Amino acid sequence: MATQAVRVATPRGLRLERVLPRLGLIAFIGVLGYLTLWPLIRLQYLALKNGGQGYTDAFSRPGWWTTVKWTIELGVGSLAIALVLGTALAWAAQSLPPRLGFLRVIPILPIVVPAVASVLGWAFLLSPHPGYLNQLLRLLPWWHGQFEGPGDIYTLPWIIIITGLALASFIYLFVSSGLEQINGELIEAAQVSGSSRTGVFFRVTLPLLRPSLVYGAGIALLLGLGQFTAPLLLGRSQNINVVTTDMYTATQQIPPQYGLAAAIGSPLLVFGIVVLFMSRLLLGDNTRFVTHGGKGGFRTISPGSKLAAFWIVLYGLLSTFLPLLALVFVSLSKFWSGDVAPSKMTLDTWRTVTSASGVMPAVWNSIYLSLAAVAIALPIGFIAASLLHRRRDHRVAGPILDFIVAVPLSIPAVIFGVGFLMVYTNKPLVLYGTRWVLVLVYVTLMIPFSTRMQLGAMAALGNSYNEASRAAGAGPLRTNLQIVVPLLRPAFGGAAALMFVLLTHEFAASLLVRAPTINVMGTILYDYYENGGYPLVACISLIMVGVTTAGVLAALVLGGGSDAFKRL
Amino acid sequence: MASVSIRRLSKRFGGKTPTTAIDELDLEIEPGEFLVLLGPSGCGKTTTLRCIAGLETAEEGSIAFGDRMVFDADGHTNVPPNKRNIGMVFQSYALWPHMTVRKNISYPLRIRKIKGAQAKTWVEEVAALVDTTPLLDRHPAQLSGGQQQRIALARGLVARPELVLFDEPLSNLDARLRDQVRSEIHELHGRLGFTAVYVTHDQVEALALGDRLAIMNAGRIEQLATPEQVFEEPATEYVAGFIGMANRLVFERHDGSWMLDGEPVEGDLDAIGGSSQTIKARTRPEDVRLAPADEIPPPASLSFPATLVDSEFGGRHLDVVVTVGSTRVQSRIPAGERGSWARTLEPGRRVLAYVNPRDPAFYDDDGVLVSSVGRAVAVGT
Repeated sequence: MATQAVRVATPRGLRLERVLPRLGLIAFIGVLGYLTLWPLIRLQYLALKNGGQGYTDAFSRPGWWTTVKWTIELGVGSLAIALVLGTALAWAAQSLPPRLGFLRVIPILPIVVPAVASVLGWAFLLSPHPGYLNQLLRLLPWWHGQFEGPGDIYTLPWIIIITGLALASFIYLFVSSGLEQINGELIEAAQVSGSSRTGVFFRVTLPLLRPSLVYGAGIALLLGLGQFTAPLLLGRSQNINVVTTDMYTATQQIPPQYGLAAAIGSPLLVFGIVVLFMSRLLLGDNTRFVTHGGKGGFRTISPGSKLAAFWIVLYGLLSTFLPLLALVFVSLSKFWSGDVAPSKMTLDTWRTVTSASGVMPAVWNSIYLSLAAVAIALPIGFIAASLLHRRRDHRVAGPILDFIVAVPLSIPAVIFGVGFLMVYTNKPLVLYGTRWVLVLVYVTLMIPFSTRMQLGAMAALGNSYNEASRAAGAGPLRTNLQIVVPLLRPAFGGAAALMFVLLTHEFAASLLVRAPTINVMGTILYDYYENGGYPLVACISLIMVGVTTAGVLAALVLGGGSDAFKRL
Repeated sequence: MASVSIRRLSKRFGGKTPTTAIDELDLEIEPGEFLVLLGPSGCGKTTTLRCIAGLETAEEGSIAFGDRMVFDADGHTNVPPNKRNIGMVFQSYALWPHMTVRKNISYPLRIRKIKGAQAKTWVEEVAALVDTTPLLDRHPAQLSGGQQQRIALARGLVARPELVLFDEPLSNLDARLRDQVRSEIHELHGRLGFTAVYVTHDQVEALALGDRLAIMNAGRIEQLATPEQVFEEPATEYVAGFIGMANRLVFERHDGSWMLDGEPVEGDLDAIGGSSQTIKARTRPEDVRLAPADEIPPPASLSFPATLVDSEFGGRHLDVVVTVGSTRVQSRIPAGERGSWARTLEPGRRVLAYVNPRDPAFYDDDGVLVSSVGRAVAVGT
């Protein structure tokens, strides 16, 4: 055999080969740290300046403790609603008759529909006097003859309810992906042992789902506490403040009170980091909870329940279809009066929306900036995921990276918004007033999603394809380019589309870091809402939904499909 | 061909329950040798193989291919797997699903910059060797497990590496295919003469393929010897148990006579046990014979009374379980004709069990293999 022909050179004592990867790793973590941690550090610096002036001001204002109380009520209340609804929906989705399996997409829709759009939709439904739903309800004998009500969307309970409805989607995703990982034989074993279906659910399924539930609940609680859109659009006119809107108000004062804003946000920051550490401690080793084996996949023996389909459709109606329908009606009205007579419908607003000041530039900004951010976040996520995937080789860097990557998910976007504003209006990188600051915020906010989805795909792929390539003689670069990247292509498509969807929605951080001349869809929508041009607002909301839908369709085409959303 | 020398290799896995996967392992593999690492799961055999490949990094020790050091913990040498010039066959086949079979096989050649006609010839040669020529333009997902493993084999061999590593390559195949692919590997090694390290937990595979077997236990090698030696003279009880000597008989001397769990033993155990008070024997079920309780055992055998617990029909043989005191003993006896004595055995029946003292492996109190009667005779003549 001609072994001499295939001998490969040995590098011996090439120090550079050992030093370069380490330098690269440190640089990479440094850049990510600058993006994710530096804004938060800047904020604390501001809050602590002048002997903690920011904190003193923040906590001594009248109304502060009410704000805290309302924030907790919003977080805990919406979490409770979301947990019950999300788990029930996941359970219902598993009990669907096979013919109606497509209904499983419905509970994901609230993630896909922009939050600004559905909040506005609810406003149009449940405004005390002209709300469409209120008008319908007043036809019923109980409320007949009243001028207002029965619902009033501009109150804390309703803000909690619609937040809970939206967060139920997240719980649904976590629980249903948890259900999919449960070995069906475990369920069958319980059924064969004599448990009823409900008995199995409470004694076997729920305990097995503990990790998904704990993790999902942690995330949902953070999202609820950091909720910005609904309290801002619905609560502010009635002086219902939560921490995030309080922060926003501080930045809008003249002159802006950034130190105060930073101090107001600190409780959420601390809580976010605590939840992050807790979830890492609780779920440190994800493999412990994998229940694969035997005939995988969760199945129920029953032929499927029509009732399950009913509940899912009802949820879809309330969370998504009714608000969208309200938007459509308003967009077809001359002004928002709650009148739905077909004769008074008009396409006028739709004809003028493209020429309304700033609308089209905002739409294009949203699309371009989101695409640019995706193009940057995707490779960053790939590198981070590759490093985390080989966590064992990076004993020190691994946990640090893991933490940095998770931070943007646990800290409300409003806090990041203020932090970015601070970092990029100052040296060394003065980017405020350019589109770049938006791109950087978007990249930062997407790092967790990009990394997690690609890490999930890598874990599913396993190590052996990789190792086979290394053993065959290929170096790390070639292995990545020729083996890993082609095999992960569906995951890239799914991740890119998901990020695009989330970014075209983005509202909170955009509102804070935008310059007056640079708007995206969410911010221009807010400006028109503040000025009261409701039909135009409805039009813009629906355009936003349209752009998002295009992103979702891209996700379905590019692969990953609805699975893309389950890798969160 | 490369030799492989492993010196004082140690590897620990951290985490909540730290384990020592490899414990100061020394191993010399001759050029062209087929060495099998045999042991149960968790004994460190796969970790050892992965350290040789460079896919795991050990904490201590060194590994050299010929005179080329590929890993040395003290000298801070750690050649990455792609620079070690090896071939490797994985348990899960690990064929890249996005490439055709031809691309999969030619991948190591492309990396080694062997192109064009030469590459084509080598790919087709190796495909012919493993009998997969018609499959070259298909994708792996379209192939059966046996075909996939043949392709994986071809990919491991195509660049004519000096060292080929096998990580339980047959354990995902069904029994019939396993035998077939096993004999193909044996033939290929005979023809091509590469150095091979082969990990398995299957003693049949190990005996069939290995020039030498290394039986591993808790990160150490318990015995390193030819298949014949391992089979006939297992160095320790652990090795004996692992290669099929399922019965463990503990003989004890009471008042000058030998007992097995309270039952008297007929036969000359003094010749084996000398002056010691206890002696342990390991035997295969095939070597334990049964006879009616009142029969006189064959001369020079070791016999003891036993009670029958269960008997299973196996076609040409019966698998019988008997107890001696509380010791369970498995025996495989010829089934005989219809209506033979063996077939009439029922639970509770008293029988006489006996073994030829040449067959078992005997161990003293320290677990050291003592010369059996059989070998003593062989040495004497």
